[in-house]
Amino acid sequence: MKISDRSADFGFEKVLWAQKAGRVRAVFSSVAGKYDLMNDLMSFGVHRLWKHFTLSLTGLKPGQRALDVAGGTGDLAIGLARQVGKSGQVVLSDINPEMLAAGRDRLLDAGFAGNVECVLADAERLPCAGDSFDCVTIGFGLRNVTDKGAALASMYRVLKPGGQLLVLEFSKPVAPGLKPLYDAYSFGVLPRLGEWVAKDAASYRYLAESIRMHPDQEALLAMLAEAGFGQTRYHNLTGGIVAVHRGYKI
Amino acid sequence: MPATPVWLAAAESLLNRGIDRSIRAAALAGHLDRTSLELRIEGLVPVRIAITSGHLVLARGGGADAGAVITGSLLALVDLFARREGGAAPRAAERVQISGDAEIAARYRDLLELARPDWEEELSRLIGDLPARRISLAAQAAFSWARGFARTAGANAAEYLQEESRALVSKPEVEEFLAKVDELRETADRVEARLARLERRLEGPAREGRA
Repeated sequence: MKISDRSADFGFEKVLWAQKAGRVRAVFSSVAGKYDLMNDLMSFGVHRLWKHFTLSLTGLKPGQRALDVAGGTGDLAIGLARQVGKSGQVVLSDINPEMLAAGRDRLLDAGFAGNVECVLADAERLPCAGDSFDCVTIGFGLRNVTDKGAALASMYRVLKPGGQLLVLEFSKPVAPGLKPLYDAYSFGVLPRLGEWVAKDAASYRYLAESIRMHPDQEALLAMLAEAGFGQTRYHNLTGGIVAVHRGYKI
Repeated sequence: MPATPVWLAAAESLLNRGIDRSIRAAALAGHLDRTSLELRIEGLVPVRIAITSGHLVLARGGGADAGAVITGSLLALVDLFARREGGAAPRAAERVQISGDAEIAARYRDLLELARPDWEEELSRLIGDLPARRISLAAQAAFSWARGFARTAGANAAEYLQEESRALVSKPEVEEFLAKVDELRETADRVEARLARLERRLEGPAREGRA
């Protein structure tokens, strides 16, 4: 099949492979201004705990280098910058200029300058040297990538041997009885919340749909192994609503 | 593969920070690169400890390719990996079973001992140095008080049972009683020997008279 004929999931909708990145970019351009507020409202602040847990797994030391892919408004990048200190370096990358600008402003406002760089980049083709980062993180970004395999391969390439990839992403609830409540919340409450606060119900409907279309824990684990990562594992958080997948470049 | 519990991830982060703090632990982790140890704790999921590029990795165990396997109860394993003054042999050594490469098991034991978390340091990461120091001092004082209280309460209970209710006997009384039992046993043995000698003497003339 020619690449121009291939389709990709955009929520529950099928779009042409080449169109997905543009559609996703449009979603995040629309919500960038209210992104952090919406995250707090939608998750009741629990997204901070998920990110804190992810950061506790990096194993970064002062002086090391980290890359936050699809880092958006920079929640993970700020934590990474604290871990590597002034002698280290953090690269915050995102495909969306509005999100990246918001992240860059937040990092500057938090006092991080000199050891943080912002790069407008596609996760599938990271413009970074191979074997150059001790840790790569991607938080709530992988499901928006058109070719997830290519993105994982690209992240594998830029990791140093022994470096770790951390993927924080929505997943499939595993706690008994959680799924119906979660579905009702995702499709009933989230779009309305998006409409009231961000004036954009469609983008938050996409959020709920894209979560359902994202590979579950085991499928993503297999994708990590396929991309070449070793010692792959995952941790379920909040009953599996979110999972952190990890793998090393061995 | 089932999910790795969050508590294992937290323990892994704690231990890796401990390895980073100790030069000896980091060197030992380097020696153990690409080896693994499996802990089979009775009643709990097996835990696999591996070293990958200097990082300690904890995961659910169950694989057949671990370099060494240690089996035992949780208490016995905690005792085995606990720090010991002067390198004394662990008390629980006889209650755990080690199979596979014993040297790998011994090196992992040393690594976990060296990487033991500094609780005050860990607390200071969450709440800052000064509150962590105060909490640590308070915890030490509370622990010391609890230990003193347990010792005093035990002594008081023993004294009551021995001296007032007379339900138990005191150690000197027991020792005196046992010494007397020993003395009595020795006396009885001597009497028995004398009686035997007397019997032999009495039997001697009687045999000569019959002859």
